[in-house]
Formats: sequence, structure tokens, C-alpha cells
Amino acid sequence: MTFARGDYRVVVVGAGIVGLFTAYHLARAGAGPILVVDRGFLSNGGSGRNGGGVRQQWETRSTIRLAREAVADYRRFSSEFGYNIWFRQGGYLFLADTPTELARLQRVHAIVRAEGLPSEILDADGVAARLDGLAPGAVVGGSYLRSDGTLYPFPAVWGVYEAVRRLGVEVALGVDCRAIVVRDGRVAGVATSDGTVATPTVVNAAGGWSGEVSRAAGLEVPNVASRHEILATEPSKPFLDPMVVRASDGLYFSQTMRGEIVGGVTVPHPPGTARGVPSSPRFLTGMAGALVGLLPRLGALGVLRAWTGFYDDTPDGLPIVGADPRLAGFVHANGFGGHGFMLAPAATRRVAAAVLGEAVDLDPAEFSPGRFLGPAAPTTVERLQLG
Amino acid sequence: MASGTERRFSWRGRPTTARDGETILEALAHDGLPSVVRSPRYHRPRGPLCGVGQCTGCLVRVNGRPNVRACRQVVASGDVVENGNAWPSPRFDLLGVLDTAFPSGIDTLHGFRRPAFLTGLYQRVVRRLSGYSGPPSPEAARALASAPDVRTATTVIVGAGPAGRAAARALVDAGERPLVVDRGLRVPEVPGAELLARSTATFLPPPSADGGWAFSLVGFTEPARGFAIRARRVIVATGGYDAALWFGGADRPGVVTADGALALTPAPGAGPLRRAVVFGGGDRAATTIDRLHESVVAVVAPGEIRPEVVRRASDLGVPLYPRTLLRSVTGRRRVRSVRLESRGGGAPFHVECDSVVLAHRRLPHPQLFFQAGARMRWRGGAGAYFPELTDAGATSVPGLFAAGTVAGVVGDDVATSGERAAKAALGAPFDGPAPRWIPADGPAELEGYYRELLGGPRPGRWVACPCEDVLVAEIEEAHRAGYRGVEVVKRYTGVGTGLCQGRYCLPETLLTLARLEGRTPPEVGYITQRPPVHPTPLAALAALREEFAGEPAP
Repeated sequence: MTFARGDYRVVVVGAGIVGLFTAYHLARAGAGPILVVDRGFLSNGGSGRNGGGVRQQWETRSTIRLAREAVADYRRFSSEFGYNIWFRQGGYLFLADTPTELARLQRVHAIVRAEGLPSEILDADGVAARLDGLAPGAVVGGSYLRSDGTLYPFPAVWGVYEAVRRLGVEVALGVDCRAIVVRDGRVAGVATSDGTVATPTVVNAAGGWSGEVSRAAGLEVPNVASRHEILATEPSKPFLDPMVVRASDGLYFSQTMRGEIVGGVTVPHPPGTARGVPSSPRFLTGMAGALVGLLPRLGALGVLRAWTGFYDDTPDGLPIVGADPRLAGFVHANGFGGHGFMLAPAATRRVAAAVLGEAVDLDPAEFSPGRFLGPAAPTTVERLQLG
Repeated sequence: MASGTERRFSWRGRPTTARDGETILEALAHDGLPSVVRSPRYHRPRGPLCGVGQCTGCLVRVNGRPNVRACRQVVASGDVVENGNAWPSPRFDLLGVLDTAFPSGIDTLHGFRRPAFLTGLYQRVVRRLSGYSGPPSPEAARALASAPDVRTATTVIVGAGPAGRAAARALVDAGERPLVVDRGLRVPEVPGAELLARSTATFLPPPSADGGWAFSLVGFTEPARGFAIRARRVIVATGGYDAALWFGGADRPGVVTADGALALTPAPGAGPLRRAVVFGGGDRAATTIDRLHESVVAVVAPGEIRPEVVRRASDLGVPLYPRTLLRSVTGRRRVRSVRLESRGGGAPFHVECDSVVLAHRRLPHPQLFFQAGARMRWRGGAGAYFPELTDAGATSVPGLFAAGTVAGVVGDDVATSGERAAKAALGAPFDGPAPRWIPADGPAELEGYYRELLGGPRPGRWVACPCEDVLVAEIEEAHRAGYRGVEVVKRYTGVGTGLCQGRYCLPETLLTLARLEGRTPPEVGYITQRPPVHPTPLAALAALREEFAGEPAP
């Protein structure tokens, strides 16, 4: 037994950014002994494999509000947590390559504006002015919000990890959550590879593995792990300020503080794609084609490395946040669909509130675990999923 | 200057000449050791370390293309070659002040946070300083675009060194026409085989189940022509390279690996290394001494010095220092001396020199095995990972074979190893000797060396990762802060994330973490380099898009 105690007020499964921020908010609220377990090493999952984008251009008002709050959190992060995450608000530039896509961006733009954020709709020239070296005829227009940005995911993980440890949270790495112990219809403990601990509350923040954790508690959930690939190029001096996203093929990329171009493009992977499978030639060549087609000068940069990660997708493209109505003590903080990092600091405040039995200011139709139960379950929705 | 056509090009605006077929680095080395780039964070003077297209010691910008390795680019008439990140010149760089202004390092993890109103300015400045060079020009990218090379071959051999050539000969003798792919700039033909030279096989996905052409090998021919080769069998004979070493000033111009010394020394005693200290006491040191010849001033080894090296050194009349620590070098723009110390607490002493040649440790290039999903095994005797092989030379992946240095055999000449792999590929019996494997356990030789070295004084700047200017102290700080394992320390410090893809820092990092964590190197982690094996131009990959568009995902 490697754990300091036999019983905890809360056990969080997953030491990614969502699990750690959940533990942080709980510890600050004085929730009691908290244990975070993770089967891998720190930053092994999606929190160490994403492109670092943080945006507020979303299709629903509640996600825009969460994202706005998260942007404010990340602006404060470096002074609050002692690690510099280099949160750079260089904007998010969504590209439309057809009038239909532009109309879609305009609809999102209207919602974003209604929330009081100064997003802009750009014509092709307006896009070209923000994207040096854009191939002629590649876009018909786009949308742009300057206060969106990018950050370095790793120091954010280190910062929250060290903060929760200072607050007395126990973080056990390399410990696999094997089963949720249920007694009298409610959570009673967690069985791990290092033994069983008693707890009345489990938070499932396992990212790409959260479907498995819910199912280990006997709960049917709609979460699907989908495999995504990403690459980084050699660095060069800065020439690209915004994060660029093209919804039609899921292309996204930005230039990091170090000067690398980091990004991905959607390549269909059948469900159940094995974990641990390396990059594919289809992705490497498809991503290269997409980048060079849009910014031809990138052809002269070399790909330095490529890697894969898993999104935790839900049918309606929105996260699952809150207590599960079927099993008392089981709380969801998952289904972020590749957007866990950008929403984590704000979304996990609601997770902590749900654990503590406080009111949660989120629309249950959009976020609650219960929305997938019964005949009114949302159908599959295609959203501005990427970037 | 020797006869032959001259090529005129410009280096930093000055007309310069190269002999026909020379690389930019060779041309610039006519006037002494070239120092063409500054380090990315502290703007320290840098010189070539490896000479074989892996390190960041000779990065230049050629005709608007950034991050070109001068040692890999053959001069073409009219080439415009510029330095990337120094002003006004790599020799006198005003930003070199950063090196002296931050003696204990620049901490981008915790620093540049206060006052809050300045963070935007910090971001602009730090971002401006990043990278080795300006972005690529549109013209550079246009010039690189070319139609892809798509072909099939029953057997592909990656690497045309002695083992790869022996494998190719054995296949030719059996009536096959193998395709040999090699990175080298000057690769002799292999009679009966097809040769794809100046070509880097950079990505070998796991074989597909649908039989036929089981393997897809993706790569590029320089400068940027993409290739895709479908093959039934692949023999990997990618060989090895000379490792780096940690000491004070290990990133100074004049510190080169044995690969680099051989690349910079066209004939015995010629070239820009005039007074070299050779570090190493085995085969590789002997080879290096043969080439450098009268330019060798001393031979230093971490352990014992083998008789063939002793004999060569006494022929040349140079002193030998076995069981000796290399603690630091002096000199700023060029090495001027080494500070040595007998192991076990000897008094420090200096040897004057203009270069240090690292010939103590040769590491394999195992990336294609990792990429193909082959089962790997740590061999402590070499301090590296090798594929698990049957005695016949087959890996755990059907159709994938290993030959030469990457196979992990000892006492076996590499030609025998190549022949064995070819026979295994053919399913034919091999009547040569059975392989003797490099021992799997036992501590890596350098672990004790580093324990002693890093426990003592550390004069000068100790750069662990030259590509990103990560310091040895930063790796130790990550350990003190509670971060464990090579994967996490890599993410915490940035070690291993530069252009050499970890070749010159992760092996040393692994040994150091093993010592700090009290675990064995394989417990501390794999040294996997993520694909591609070498930086691969987006233009080359983009040209292959249609080729793989219909490919089923893994």
C-alpha cells in the first residue's frame, strides 16, 4: 500500500489538468483528504499531448462563459501558481474555404458578440492580412477574436500539481484505478493496482480513459476515445501570431513561443483504434499537404516530431460535468472532446461544487450526465470541434 | 587548392569558393574550424559537433531555407548562404552578452512572470529570440517542390555501410535486386542492387496485415523529394553514431565527436583540427587517431586504454591518460585546453589543445525498429536499446531484420551480421558463426564515470542539450522538484526536444537520472525518438499526400 491513508473524502481518477484543477478547487474549499490517482506519469495523457489552444469562440453561450472564465484564470495563472505558462493572446483565426463555412462562422460570431466579446468577421483580404504568405484563393473569409490564445500545457500541469501537493492533496502516479467499490447503491471506495481505499466520492477525470472508468462503476456512458495525431516542425523566428483553425477538415496550427509550428488535422480513425499506435503516414502526409496548401512557405520547414493522443468525445460535443444521477458519489469531469485544457480551470469549479453538494450554474441540458438518459438524449451534433 | 571545378557561392554576403562536390561546411573549413551559428538561448559560439547531419552546430540558411545543416548541403553555384541567429555575425554576436549576464541560467519555467504588466513585452522579446533562423521564404519552398518517388521493392535495406552492403551482396547472390537506401552524400554503388543515395528513410510504420507489400517506408531524397517505398521485407542496417559527453564547455567550438573529426579531416593530418585530445580508449579512438595522425596531442579515456590505441599513441609519441575525468575545457570561441583529473581524486591538470574528439561511446540508430513496433531490449553493456532478435537475425515483426551495429552483436564482424540478416530474410540457412550478444545487464560503463564527475566541481557552463541550451543543473533541479522518469524530465526541461531529436542529450540524461533516482536506466525510461527519424521537409511529405490518402488508419 503506497497511500498515506485508508480513506479519503474524495478520490479523483486522472492527474491531467482536469483532475488536478478539480483537486485544487476542492482543497481550497477545505473538502478534506483528497487522493488523485493516475495510471501513467504526469502529462502522459491529453494534458501533455495537446496543441495548447485556449479560445472563447464557441457555439453555445454557456461554453463561451466557461471559456471566458478560463481565459481570465489562465491570465492569472503565472502569478498564482509560480510557473510561467506563456499564455500569449495572439488570437484565434477561423478560416472558411466555402461560403457555407463562412455562414457557419457568422452564426457563431453572432453568439460570441452577443456574449460581449469583440470577435470579427474577416473577408479573404482580412484573413491574408493576419496570415502572412497565405496561398491565393485558399479562403473566402474567416472569424477572429484577439483575446483567444495559446499556452504551454506542461508548466500548467506542473504548477497545479505542485499547488495541490502544497495544499495537502496526495497524488499517486503509476496507480491504475481498476474498479469502483459500490455499497448500498453508492460509491464506497476505489480498487487500485496498489490496493483499495475507502471514499464516498469519486471524480472521473480520466480524459481519454474516462469511458472505461465509468464503465468500471457499472455505468453506461456515451464517451468514446478518439485517436488524434499532431506534429511539430523545426523552430523559426516568429511569423504567425494567431492559432489558425479550418473547420472543414479540422486543420489547426499555431507557432509556439519557441518558434515551432504545432498542429494537427482530422484523419478518420475507426473507433477502438489501439492505444500506443504511433503516427500514421496518412496523417503526416495529409497534415503536410494541408499546411503547404494554405501557407506554401511552410514547405521548406522540416517536421521534427509527431505524436498521438486521445480525445474523450461525447455525442453532442459538450462535456459531462456533474454528479451521476444513477450512482450517488460518482461525479463526472470528462467528455471534453479535446478541449479539456481550455475549459479546465472554469469547468472544474463546477465539478468541485457538485462534489460539495453546492448549486452548479450550468445548463443541465448541455452539461449534465443525465442528459444522455431517457428518450430526450441529444443526437450527434457536429460542432466547431477543433483547435 | 586542388584541381576540379570551382563553385562560387556567397557566405554572409562574401564571395566564397568550394571545390566540386564539397559541402558548405567543407568549403568553409578551408579557413579553419567554421563557427556559423550561436546557441539558441545564451548565444554561445557553436561549432560543428557531429559532421553527419544530426546536431545543430552548423545550421545555416541557404537560399531562404532555414535550418540547413552545412555538413549535409553540397554547394551549388550561386547559393546564398547566411547565418541565422547572430548579429552582427556569428563571431561577434551582441546577444552573446546573455551568456555572461545569466551565469546560473535563464529560467523560462518560473521567470518572466513579474511584474504582470510586462509579461506581454517579455513574450515579444523571448519569442523574437527563439529559433535558429528566420522563417522560410516562399521562393525557398517553391524551389523544393518536386514530384514524389513512389516505388516497390521485394527487399529494402536501410543503410549502405559494411553490414548493409554485405546483406545486399548476399541477396544479389541469391538472385534478388534489393533496394538500398542511404543518407550518405558519397555512397558507392552496390553491384547488382539499386541504390537510393542521399536519402533518409524516416518513418517505418508497423506492417499492414493485408500481406502483399507489408511495409510502407516514407522518407526523402535531399533536398526535399519525398519517397514512399512499398516492400515485403526490410533489413535495417542504420549503423551508429558517436555519443556526446557532459563536461564544462562541452558545447564549445572544437569539441567534436569522432564522426565529426572524421568528417572534418579529409586526409591524415589535414583539416581544421590541429591539436586534438582524443577521448576514448577503444576501436573508435584507434580509427580517429589514424585519421588525425600528427594532429593528436593526447589520448584520454574514462577507463582503460586498449593495446591498439596504446601502440598508436606511442608511435606518435603522445601521452596517454587512462581512467581520467574530462572536467572542462577553456576557451570561448575555440577550445584552448582541457582540464583533466585522474579518477579517484587526482589533482587537476591541463593539456593545451584546439579540439577534443569524443570517441568513447558508439550508439545505435534504432528508431525504425521502435516505429515498426518491434520488441526492444535494453543492453546495459552498450547503454542502449536494440531489437530483440532470434539467433537468425529476425525481429519480433515478421519481415523486419537487423544487421550490423543496430543488431547488438559483439565479436562478430559487421559483414557477417549483414549476411546473416540477408539469409534470415530469404529463409535460407546461414552457416556462419552464431551471434554473441552485447550483455543485457550490468551497469553501463559510464555510470560510475558520471557519478564521480558530477559529484565534483563544475567549472564553466554545463550544457546538457546543445540544441535547446538546457543545462545539466536544470535536469538536476527537475529531480529535486520531484519529477521522475525521462519522459517527465524531458517535458519539464525541454531536454531532448531539439533538432537532434535527443541523440546528443537523452543518453546522458538517462544515465544521470538512473543515478539520481537510484534505478536502472530501463526503469527510468525508453529513449524513443518520435517519428520522423530526421527532420523531414513538409514539401516532401505534402507531395506524398495522394499516395496515402486512401490508406486505412492503423
